Amino acid sequence: MSVLLEKHIVELLQERDEKAISLLYEHYGDTLYGVAKKVVRDEELAQDVLQESFVKIWKKSDSYDATKAKLFTWLFRITRNTAIDKLRSVNTKSDKEIQMDVSDVYNLGVDSIKPEFMDVRENLDKIEDKYQIVLEALFFQGMTQQEASDELGIPLGTIKSRLKIGLRELKKIYGPSMMLALLLNLL
Amino acid sequence: MKEKIKIFLDSDLLEKYLLGTTNQQESLQVERYLAMYPEVRETYNELQDNLEVFAKLHAVKTPEGLKNKIMARIKSENSSRRKFFRYAMAASFAAVMFAGASYFLWNQNQNLQEENVLVNNKIETLKEDMRLELEDVRNQFIVLNNPLTKKYNVKGNKNAKELKAVAYINPVKKLSYINVKKLPHLSKNQSFQMWAEVNGKMINLGIIDESAGQEKLLALPYADNAVSYITIEPKGGNNTPTVENIVAKINY
Repeated sequence: MSVLLEKHIVELLQERDEKAISLLYEHYGDTLYGVAKKVVRDEELAQDVLQESFVKIWKKSDSYDATKAKLFTWLFRITRNTAIDKLRSVNTKSDKEIQMDVSDVYNLGVDSIKPEFMDVRENLDKIEDKYQIVLEALFFQGMTQQEASDELGIPLGTIKSRLKIGLRELKKIYGPSMMLALLLNLL
Repeated sequence: MKEKIKIFLDSDLLEKYLLGTTNQQESLQVERYLAMYPEVRETYNELQDNLEVFAKLHAVKTPEGLKNKIMARIKSENSSRRKFFRYAMAASFAAVMFAGASYFLWNQNQNLQEENVLVNNKIETLKEDMRLELEDVRNQFIVLNNPLTKKYNVKGNKNAKELKAVAYINPVKKLSYINVKKLPHLSKNQSFQMWAEVNGKMINLGIIDESAGQEKLLALPYADNAVSYITIEPKGGNNTPTVENIVAKINY
Protein backbone atom coordinates (compact mmCIF):
# COMPACT_ATOMS: atom_id res chain seq x y z
CA MET A 1 0.00 0.00 0.00
CA SER A 2 1.32 3.41 -0.90
CA VAL A 3 2.24 5.66 1.97
CA LEU A 4 -0.06 8.31 0.52
CA LEU A 5 -3.08 6.03 0.40
CA GLU A 6 -2.36 4.78 3.92
CA LYS A 7 -2.23 8.38 5.14
CA HIS A 8 -5.47 9.14 3.35
CA ILE A 9 -7.21 6.17 4.98
CA VAL A 10 -5.92 7.15 8.42
CA GLU A 11 -7.23 10.67 7.88
CA LEU A 12 -10.62 9.34 6.85
CA LEU A 13 -10.67 7.09 9.92
CA GLN A 14 -9.92 10.00 12.19
CA GLU A 15 -12.64 12.05 10.49
CA ARG A 16 -14.95 9.07 11.09
CA ASP A 17 -15.72 8.81 7.41
CA GLU A 18 -17.23 5.42 6.46
CA LYS A 19 -15.27 5.53 3.22
CA ALA A 20 -12.22 4.58 5.29
CA ILE A 21 -13.75 1.15 5.99
CA SER A 22 -14.60 0.69 2.34
CA LEU A 23 -11.02 1.51 1.32
CA LEU A 24 -9.57 -0.69 4.06
CA TYR A 25 -11.74 -3.56 2.90
CA GLU A 26 -10.67 -3.12 -0.69
CA HIS A 27 -6.98 -3.02 0.17
CA TYR A 28 -6.70 -5.30 3.17
CA GLY A 29 -9.91 -7.34 3.14
CA ASP A 30 -8.42 -10.42 1.46
CA THR A 31 -5.31 -10.38 3.63
CA LEU A 32 -7.24 -9.98 6.88
CA TYR A 33 -9.73 -12.63 5.78
CA GLY A 34 -6.76 -14.93 5.18
CA VAL A 35 -5.46 -14.16 8.67
CA ALA A 36 -8.86 -14.87 10.21
CA LYS A 37 -9.20 -18.09 8.24
CA LYS A 38 -5.72 -19.23 9.23
CA VAL A 39 -6.64 -18.82 12.89
CA VAL A 40 -10.21 -20.16 13.01
CA ARG A 41 -9.96 -22.56 10.03
CA ASP A 42 -13.62 -22.21 9.22
CA GLU A 43 -15.02 -20.07 6.45
CA GLU A 44 -18.17 -18.99 8.23
CA LEU A 45 -16.35 -18.22 11.46
CA ALA A 46 -13.73 -16.33 9.49
CA GLN A 47 -16.44 -14.18 7.91
CA ASP A 48 -17.86 -13.42 11.36
CA VAL A 49 -14.36 -12.58 12.56
CA LEU A 50 -13.79 -10.23 9.64
CA GLN A 51 -17.10 -8.46 10.27
CA GLU A 52 -16.40 -8.07 13.97
CA SER A 53 -12.86 -6.93 13.24
CA PHE A 54 -14.02 -4.18 10.91
CA VAL A 55 -16.57 -3.02 13.46
CA LYS A 56 -13.77 -2.91 16.05
CA ILE A 57 -11.51 -1.09 13.61
CA TRP A 58 -14.27 1.45 13.09
CA LYS A 59 -14.98 1.86 16.80
CA LYS A 60 -11.32 2.08 17.77
CA SER A 61 -10.31 4.28 14.85
CA ASP A 62 -9.45 7.21 17.07
CA SER A 63 -7.09 5.04 19.12
CA TYR A 64 -4.82 4.27 16.17
CA ASP A 65 -1.39 5.82 16.73
CA ALA A 66 0.77 5.93 13.60
CA THR A 67 3.91 6.45 15.67
CA LYS A 68 3.41 3.12 17.43
CA ALA A 69 2.50 0.85 14.56
CA LYS A 70 1.97 0.83 10.82
CA LEU A 71 -1.63 0.72 9.74
CA PHE A 72 -1.41 -2.92 8.66
CA THR A 73 0.18 -3.98 11.95
CA TRP A 74 -2.72 -2.38 13.80
CA LEU A 75 -5.32 -4.03 11.52
CA PHE A 76 -3.54 -7.36 11.87
CA ARG A 77 -3.51 -7.18 15.68
CA ILE A 78 -7.24 -6.45 15.84
CA THR A 79 -8.14 -9.20 13.37
CA ARG A 80 -5.84 -11.77 14.93
CA ASN A 81 -7.04 -11.06 18.46
CA THR A 82 -10.68 -11.12 17.36
CA ALA A 83 -10.07 -14.46 15.65
CA ILE A 84 -8.31 -15.94 18.69
CA ASP A 85 -11.14 -14.73 20.97
CA LYS A 86 -13.69 -16.22 18.58
CA LEU A 87 -11.90 -19.52 18.55
CA ARG A 88 -11.79 -19.59 22.35
CA SER A 89 -15.47 -18.70 22.65
CA VAL A 90 -16.69 -21.36 20.20
CA ASN A 91 -14.50 -24.09 21.56
CA THR A 92 -13.16 -23.38 24.98
CA LYS A 93 -12.90 -27.07 25.77
CA SER A 94 -10.48 -28.20 23.10
CA ASP A 95 -8.29 -25.17 22.74
CA LYS A 96 -5.22 -27.31 22.35
CA GLU A 97 -6.82 -29.61 19.87
CA ILE A 98 -7.67 -26.72 17.59
CA GLN A 99 -4.26 -25.21 17.79
CA MET A 100 -2.45 -28.44 17.20
CA ASP A 101 -4.38 -29.86 14.28
CA VAL A 102 -1.13 -29.77 12.36
CA SER A 103 -2.22 -31.47 9.18
CA ASP A 104 -4.84 -28.81 8.60
CA VAL A 105 -3.08 -25.76 9.95
CA TYR A 106 0.39 -26.06 8.67
CA ASN A 107 -0.32 -27.14 5.16
CA LEU A 108 -1.87 -24.77 2.74
CA GLY A 109 -5.51 -25.68 2.37
CA VAL A 110 -6.47 -26.67 -1.18
CA ASP A 111 -9.39 -24.26 -1.11
CA SER A 112 -7.13 -21.33 -0.53
CA ILE A 113 -5.04 -21.92 -3.61
CA LYS A 114 -6.49 -19.77 -6.30
CA PRO A 115 -4.88 -18.85 -9.60
CA GLU A 116 -4.27 -15.24 -8.59
CA PHE A 117 -2.23 -16.38 -5.62
CA MET A 118 -0.18 -18.98 -7.44
CA ASP A 119 2.91 -16.84 -7.89
CA VAL A 120 2.83 -15.95 -4.26
CA ARG A 121 2.44 -19.55 -3.27
CA GLU A 122 5.43 -20.49 -5.34
CA ASN A 123 7.44 -17.84 -3.66
CA LEU A 124 6.23 -18.90 -0.27
CA ASP A 125 7.40 -22.39 -1.08
CA LYS A 126 10.89 -21.03 -1.37
CA ILE A 127 10.89 -20.61 2.38
CA GLU A 128 11.66 -23.90 3.96
CA ASP A 129 8.81 -25.58 5.78
CA LYS A 130 10.58 -25.52 9.10
CA TYR A 131 10.67 -21.73 9.02
CA GLN A 132 7.12 -21.46 7.73
CA ILE A 133 5.80 -23.61 10.54
CA VAL A 134 7.41 -21.37 13.13
CA LEU A 135 6.23 -18.19 11.42
CA GLU A 136 2.67 -19.44 11.19
CA ALA A 137 2.60 -20.72 14.75
CA LEU A 138 3.73 -17.36 16.04
CA PHE A 139 1.89 -15.04 13.68
CA PHE A 140 -1.39 -16.84 13.26
CA GLN A 141 -1.88 -19.39 15.97
CA GLY A 142 -1.64 -17.08 18.92
CA MET A 143 1.29 -18.97 20.40
CA THR A 144 4.10 -17.44 22.33
CA GLN A 145 7.56 -18.62 21.44
CA GLN A 146 7.53 -20.80 24.55
CA GLU A 147 4.17 -22.33 23.57
CA ALA A 148 5.39 -22.91 20.01
CA SER A 149 8.47 -24.61 21.46
CA ASP A 150 6.31 -26.86 23.65
CA GLU A 151 3.69 -27.63 21.03
CA LEU A 152 6.03 -28.20 18.13
CA GLY A 153 8.58 -30.00 20.27
CA ILE A 154 11.31 -27.66 19.13
CA PRO A 155 13.72 -26.09 21.67
CA LEU A 156 13.04 -22.45 22.43
CA GLY A 157 16.43 -21.36 21.08
CA THR A 158 15.68 -23.06 17.77
CA ILE A 159 12.28 -21.37 17.58
CA LYS A 160 13.96 -18.01 18.07
CA SER A 161 16.60 -18.63 15.43
CA ARG A 162 14.11 -20.11 12.96
CA LEU A 163 11.86 -17.11 13.39
CA LYS A 164 14.74 -14.78 12.65
CA ILE A 165 15.98 -16.80 9.68
CA GLY A 166 12.44 -17.22 8.37
CA LEU A 167 11.89 -13.51 8.47
CA ARG A 168 15.23 -12.90 6.80
CA GLU A 169 14.35 -15.38 4.05
CA LEU A 170 11.09 -13.59 3.56
CA LYS A 171 12.92 -10.33 3.16
CA LYS A 172 15.29 -11.88 0.64
CA ILE A 173 12.43 -13.07 -1.50
CA TYR A 174 10.56 -9.82 -1.30
CA GLY A 175 12.88 -6.93 -1.86
CA PRO A 176 11.24 -3.55 -2.34
CA SER A 177 10.52 -4.18 -6.03
CA MET A 178 9.11 -7.62 -5.29
CA MET A 179 6.92 -6.11 -2.63
CA LEU A 180 5.31 -3.89 -5.22
CA ALA A 181 4.76 -6.79 -7.58
CA LEU A 182 3.30 -8.77 -4.72
CA LEU A 183 0.92 -6.01 -3.75
CA LEU A 184 -0.21 -5.48 -7.32
CA ASN A 185 -0.76 -9.17 -7.56
CA LEU A 186 -2.88 -9.21 -4.43
CA LEU A 187 -4.96 -6.10 -4.93
CA MET B 1 25.04 -0.93 25.58
CA LYS B 2 25.26 -3.06 22.44
CA GLU B 3 24.99 -6.07 24.70
CA LYS B 4 21.78 -4.70 26.21
CA ILE B 5 20.21 -4.17 22.79
CA LYS B 6 21.29 -7.66 21.71
CA ILE B 7 19.69 -9.20 24.79
CA PHE B 8 16.55 -7.22 24.12
CA LEU B 9 16.38 -8.27 20.47
CA ASP B 10 17.09 -11.89 21.42
CA SER B 11 14.10 -11.90 23.73
CA ASP B 12 10.76 -12.23 21.97
CA LEU B 13 9.44 -8.97 23.42
CA LEU B 14 9.58 -7.13 20.13
CA GLU B 15 7.75 -9.96 18.33
CA LYS B 16 5.15 -10.06 21.08
CA TYR B 17 4.75 -6.30 20.83
CA LEU B 18 4.34 -6.63 17.07
CA LEU B 19 1.42 -9.00 17.58
CA GLY B 20 -0.02 -6.91 20.40
CA THR B 21 0.36 -9.62 23.04
CA THR B 22 2.60 -7.72 25.45
CA ASN B 23 1.24 -6.60 28.80
CA GLN B 24 1.28 -2.94 29.72
CA GLN B 25 4.64 -3.06 31.43
CA GLU B 26 6.25 -4.92 28.55
CA SER B 27 4.74 -2.48 26.06
CA LEU B 28 6.25 0.44 27.92
CA GLN B 29 9.64 -1.27 27.92
CA VAL B 30 9.46 -1.95 24.18
CA GLU B 31 8.36 1.60 23.46
CA ARG B 32 11.29 2.90 25.51
CA TYR B 33 13.74 0.79 23.48
CA LEU B 34 12.07 1.87 20.24
CA ALA B 35 12.48 5.51 21.17
CA MET B 36 16.06 5.16 22.38
CA TYR B 37 17.76 2.79 19.92
CA PRO B 38 17.51 3.28 16.15
CA GLU B 39 18.54 -0.33 15.54
CA VAL B 40 15.58 -1.53 17.60
CA ARG B 41 13.28 0.79 15.67
CA GLU B 42 14.75 -0.54 12.41
CA THR B 43 14.22 -4.14 13.46
CA TYR B 44 10.67 -3.32 14.47
CA ASN B 45 9.93 -1.70 11.10
CA GLU B 46 11.42 -4.73 9.34
CA LEU B 47 9.25 -7.01 11.43
CA GLN B 48 6.19 -4.98 10.51
CA ASP B 49 7.03 -5.19 6.81
CA ASN B 50 7.66 -8.92 7.10
CA LEU B 51 4.41 -9.44 8.91
CA GLU B 52 2.55 -7.64 6.16
CA VAL B 53 4.25 -9.65 3.44
CA PHE B 54 3.76 -12.89 5.32
CA ALA B 55 0.10 -12.15 5.92
CA LYS B 56 -0.43 -11.19 2.29
CA LEU B 57 1.02 -14.52 1.27
CA HIS B 58 -1.99 -16.05 2.99
CA ALA B 59 -4.58 -13.70 1.57
CA VAL B 60 -7.84 -15.37 0.62
CA LYS B 61 -10.45 -13.79 -1.63
CA THR B 62 -13.32 -12.58 0.52
CA PRO B 63 -16.74 -14.01 -0.36
CA GLU B 64 -19.20 -11.94 -2.40
CA GLY B 65 -21.50 -9.76 -0.36
CA LEU B 66 -19.35 -9.72 2.77
CA LYS B 67 -18.29 -6.15 2.10
CA ASN B 68 -21.90 -5.01 1.87
CA LYS B 69 -22.70 -6.79 5.13
CA ILE B 70 -19.79 -5.08 6.85
CA MET B 71 -20.67 -1.66 5.46
CA ALA B 72 -24.25 -2.16 6.66
CA ARG B 73 -22.97 -3.06 10.14
CA ILE B 74 -20.82 0.07 10.18
CA LYS B 75 -23.81 2.16 9.12
CA SER B 76 -26.03 0.74 11.85
CA GLU B 77 -23.18 1.17 14.31
CA ASN B 78 -23.07 4.82 13.31
CA SER B 79 -26.79 5.34 13.54
CA SER B 80 -26.93 3.68 16.93
CA ARG B 81 -24.10 5.93 18.00
CA ARG B 82 -25.99 8.91 16.63
CA LYS B 83 -29.07 7.61 18.39
CA PHE B 84 -27.07 7.40 21.58
CA PHE B 85 -25.93 10.98 21.10
CA ARG B 86 -29.50 12.01 20.40
CA TYR B 87 -30.59 10.34 23.64
CA ALA B 88 -27.68 11.90 25.45
CA MET B 89 -28.65 15.29 24.06
CA ALA B 90 -32.27 14.76 25.06
CA ALA B 91 -31.19 13.61 28.50
CA SER B 92 -28.95 16.62 29.03
CA PHE B 93 -31.69 18.90 27.78
CA ALA B 94 -34.13 17.31 30.21
CA ALA B 95 -31.60 17.64 33.01
CA VAL B 96 -31.10 21.32 32.24
CA MET B 97 -34.87 21.86 32.10
CA PHE B 98 -35.30 20.01 35.38
CA ALA B 99 -32.57 22.08 37.01
CA GLY B 100 -34.19 25.25 35.66
CA ALA B 101 -37.62 24.24 36.87
CA SER B 102 -36.21 23.24 40.26
CA TYR B 103 -34.50 26.60 40.59
CA PHE B 104 -37.68 28.39 39.54
CA LEU B 105 -39.78 26.47 42.05
CA TRP B 106 -37.22 26.89 44.79
CA ASN B 107 -37.14 30.60 44.10
CA GLN B 108 -40.91 30.77 44.15
CA ASN B 109 -40.96 28.83 47.40
CA GLN B 110 -38.46 31.27 48.90
CA ASN B 111 -40.63 34.20 47.80
CA LEU B 112 -43.75 32.59 49.21
CA GLN B 113 -42.01 31.94 52.51
CA GLU B 114 -40.95 35.58 52.72
CA GLU B 115 -44.47 36.65 51.87
CA ASN B 116 -45.82 34.28 54.50
CA VAL B 117 -43.61 35.87 57.17
CA LEU B 118 -44.80 39.31 56.05
CA VAL B 119 -48.46 38.28 56.17
CA ASN B 120 -47.99 36.71 59.60
CA ASN B 121 -46.39 39.89 60.87
CA LYS B 122 -49.26 41.92 59.45
CA ILE B 123 -51.76 39.65 61.18
CA GLU B 124 -49.88 40.05 64.46
CA THR B 125 -49.89 43.82 64.09
CA LEU B 126 -53.59 43.78 63.22
CA LYS B 127 -54.31 41.61 66.24
CA GLU B 128 -52.40 44.00 68.44
CA ASP B 129 -54.21 46.96 66.91
CA MET B 130 -57.54 45.24 67.43
CA ARG B 131 -56.64 44.46 71.01
CA LEU B 132 -55.72 48.08 71.67
CA GLU B 133 -58.81 49.33 69.91
CA LEU B 134 -60.99 46.92 71.84
CA GLU B 135 -59.41 47.94 75.12
CA ASP B 136 -60.00 51.55 74.18
CA VAL B 137 -63.65 50.87 73.38
CA ARG B 138 -64.03 48.93 76.62
CA ASN B 139 -62.50 51.77 78.58
CA GLN B 140 -64.82 54.22 76.80
CA PHE B 141 -67.72 52.00 77.74
CA ILE B 142 -66.56 51.85 81.36
CA VAL B 143 -66.14 55.59 81.53
CA LEU B 144 -69.44 56.41 79.89
CA ASN B 145 -71.44 53.93 81.93
CA ASN B 146 -69.86 54.58 85.27
CA PRO B 147 -72.05 56.68 87.59
CA LEU B 148 -68.96 58.22 89.07
CA THR B 149 -67.94 59.63 85.70
CA LYS B 150 -68.20 63.37 85.53
CA LYS B 151 -69.19 65.08 82.33
CA TYR B 152 -67.69 68.43 81.45
CA ASN B 153 -68.94 70.61 78.66
CA VAL B 154 -66.03 72.38 77.03
CA LYS B 155 -66.50 75.59 75.10
CA GLY B 156 -64.02 77.50 73.05
CA ASN B 157 -62.77 80.92 74.18
CA LYS B 158 -62.97 84.03 72.08
CA ASN B 159 -60.54 82.66 69.59
CA ALA B 160 -62.83 79.79 68.73
CA LYS B 161 -66.32 80.42 69.87
CA GLU B 162 -67.80 77.64 67.81
CA LEU B 163 -65.72 74.95 69.49
CA LYS B 164 -67.74 72.50 71.50
CA ALA B 165 -66.49 69.40 73.25
CA VAL B 166 -67.52 67.03 76.01
CA ALA B 167 -64.98 65.52 78.40
CA TYR B 168 -65.66 62.47 80.53
CA ILE B 169 -63.50 62.00 83.59
CA ASN B 170 -63.63 59.09 86.02
CA PRO B 171 -61.37 59.62 89.02
CA VAL B 172 -62.00 56.12 90.37
CA LYS B 173 -61.01 54.25 87.25
CA LYS B 174 -58.52 56.98 86.43
CA LEU B 175 -59.80 57.26 82.89
CA SER B 176 -60.63 60.36 80.90
CA TYR B 177 -61.97 60.93 77.38
CA ILE B 178 -62.87 63.92 75.30
CA ASN B 179 -65.36 64.10 72.48
CA VAL B 180 -64.80 67.10 70.27
CA LYS B 181 -68.24 67.85 68.85
CA LYS B 182 -67.63 70.89 66.78
CA LEU B 183 -64.58 72.75 65.58
CA PRO B 184 -64.42 76.15 63.93
CA HIS B 185 -63.01 76.23 60.41
CA LEU B 186 -59.33 76.88 60.18
CA SER B 187 -57.19 78.02 57.29
CA LYS B 188 -55.48 75.26 55.32
CA ASN B 189 -52.11 75.60 57.02
CA GLN B 190 -53.46 75.36 60.56
CA SER B 191 -54.76 72.54 62.74
CA PHE B 192 -56.06 71.96 66.25
CA GLN B 193 -53.76 70.13 68.61
CA MET B 194 -54.48 68.67 72.03
CA TRP B 195 -52.22 68.84 75.02
CA ALA B 196 -52.37 67.73 78.62
CA GLU B 197 -50.38 69.08 81.53
CA VAL B 198 -49.83 66.14 83.83
CA ASN B 199 -47.77 66.61 87.01
CA GLY B 200 -46.24 69.75 85.56
CA LYS B 201 -45.27 68.09 82.29
CA MET B 202 -46.79 69.09 78.95
CA ILE B 203 -47.75 66.04 76.88
CA ASN B 204 -48.57 66.24 73.21
CA LEU B 205 -51.84 64.30 72.63
CA GLY B 206 -51.85 64.82 68.89
CA ILE B 207 -53.76 66.62 66.22
CA ILE B 208 -57.54 66.55 66.29
CA ASP B 209 -58.77 65.14 63.05
CA GLU B 210 -61.75 67.17 61.91
CA SER B 211 -62.93 64.47 59.58
CA ALA B 212 -62.86 61.79 62.28
CA GLY B 213 -66.50 62.42 63.09
CA GLN B 214 -68.30 63.67 66.11
CA GLU B 215 -68.66 60.39 67.93
CA LYS B 216 -64.95 59.76 68.26
CA LEU B 217 -63.70 59.71 71.83
CA LEU B 218 -60.09 60.68 72.41
CA ALA B 219 -58.36 59.21 75.44
CA LEU B 220 -56.72 61.68 77.78
CA PRO B 221 -53.93 60.78 80.19
CA TYR B 222 -55.36 60.79 83.67
CA ALA B 223 -53.83 62.59 86.61
CA ASP B 224 -55.21 64.46 89.61
CA ASN B 225 -55.59 68.11 88.82
CA ALA B 226 -54.53 67.67 85.21
CA VAL B 227 -55.27 70.35 82.65
CA SER B 228 -55.91 69.80 78.96
CA TYR B 229 -55.58 72.40 76.28
CA ILE B 230 -56.65 72.74 72.71
CA THR B 231 -54.48 75.08 70.69
CA ILE B 232 -54.30 76.22 67.11
CA GLU B 233 -50.96 75.21 65.67
CA PRO B 234 -49.37 75.23 62.22
CA LYS B 235 -50.46 72.35 60.01
CA GLY B 236 -48.83 69.08 61.05
CA GLY B 237 -48.64 69.98 64.71
CA ASN B 238 -46.11 71.58 67.00
CA ASN B 239 -43.66 70.29 69.62
CA THR B 240 -44.76 72.74 72.29
CA PRO B 241 -48.10 74.46 72.59
CA THR B 242 -48.41 78.09 71.53
CA VAL B 243 -49.87 79.67 74.65
CA GLU B 244 -51.52 82.67 72.89
CA ASN B 245 -53.38 80.29 70.59
CA ILE B 246 -55.13 78.33 73.33
CA VAL B 247 -58.76 77.95 72.34
CA ALA B 248 -60.03 75.72 75.14
CA LYS B 249 -58.90 74.63 78.56
CA ILE B 250 -60.26 71.65 80.44
CA ASN B 251 -59.56 71.16 84.12
CA TYR B 252 -60.24 67.75 85.57
